[in-house]
Amino acid sequence: MDKTSYTIFKTFFKVGTLLLGGGYVILPLLTNELVDKRKWITSEELCEYFAISTSLPGVIAANISVFVGNKLLGLKGSIAAVVGLILPAFLAIVLLATILSEIVAKAFVQNIFWGVGIGVILLLYLAVKEMWKKAIVDKFSWIVYIVSLLLALSGKIPLALIVIAALCTGIIHQIVSDRYFSTRENEDEVKI
Amino acid sequence: MGLYFHLIVQFFQIGLFSFGGGYATLPFLYRIGEDFGWYSSKQLTEMLAVSSITPGPVGINVATFAGFTTSGILGALIATVSIVFPSFIIATVVYKLLDKFKTSKYVKGAIKAIKPAGCALLSAVGLKLLLTSNLHLLGGIFLGILFISTFFKKYDAIFYLGVSAFFGVLIGAFNLIGV
Repeated sequence: MDKTSYTIFKTFFKVGTLLLGGGYVILPLLTNELVDKRKWITSEELCEYFAISTSLPGVIAANISVFVGNKLLGLKGSIAAVVGLILPAFLAIVLLATILSEIVAKAFVQNIFWGVGIGVILLLYLAVKEMWKKAIVDKFSWIVYIVSLLLALSGKIPLALIVIAALCTGIIHQIVSDRYFSTRENEDEVKI
Repeated sequence: MGLYFHLIVQFFQIGLFSFGGGYATLPFLYRIGEDFGWYSSKQLTEMLAVSSITPGPVGINVATFAGFTTSGILGALIATVSIVFPSFIIATVVYKLLDKFKTSKYVKGAIKAIKPAGCALLSAVGLKLLLTSNLHLLGGIFLGILFISTFFKKYDAIFYLGVSAFFGVLIGAFNLIGV
């Protein structure tokens, strides 16, 4: 299949339709469509894009679509990929939301949502656990986690500010520890 | 007009500052509900449940839904575009600077701190929901059972939501709790 805006859009529309739940599920779907079926990119490239996408802000599936779209057809490709990816999500919700507001008032549905609220807490726990594996790796990340958690729970500080503060702390920590280690190396050299 | 302006600004912020994937957008969405009163935290939990079982990335679904609840189809469109736009710009720039981005020690340092922060924001949402939801004793026991079961086998989101919906119907049918 040729790489045109239309075929890229169609491929990502399909992926967006099949995608259920969080962004992590997109990797096997993209491997199947882009690597195995169409041979548009290699599995290594896809894994690299995925790894970088997880460290960028926003929805991971959208980030990785921008990368793949860019690789395939530049800016045009990335627009086709992102629009294809989010269009099914958009349509599904707009259709459902219209019906939902009418049925939600019924007592029966309220019971369902009461139960589903419990399931959502479990889903949040699983999402935190998944992030935890990649995020909490040493003493420094523990400290950032605890401080951010307390600030978020206080409910007074804008969340964006907490993220910016963490970002700055990370850069400063990197500079300071680099300097510390490089002076130590210099001392060692002097001793030798 | 003012409403649409606020929608753009708020959802743009989410796209810019939520690190860690779709679920990382939730802390921001809950805060927006508190600050602007566009929807309640209970409504957002319902939106999240529906978003988890509809096609598409959960982060996009829930943003579309929140936008729709705020001001109909135009709100849904504005919210969706606004949340993706920062991602689009950032990912495009990073794609062009791919090799520099990968080796920069400042980027590495920033990412190392941003990940635990994103994880902390989501943990705070989970804790708040746990403390403010009307779980009752039976709901608490049910959550405990689900929690323990994840240590043995993990299922898809759709399974947990289905089982909990069924549990809610049971509780309602026998009128065990005045939900």
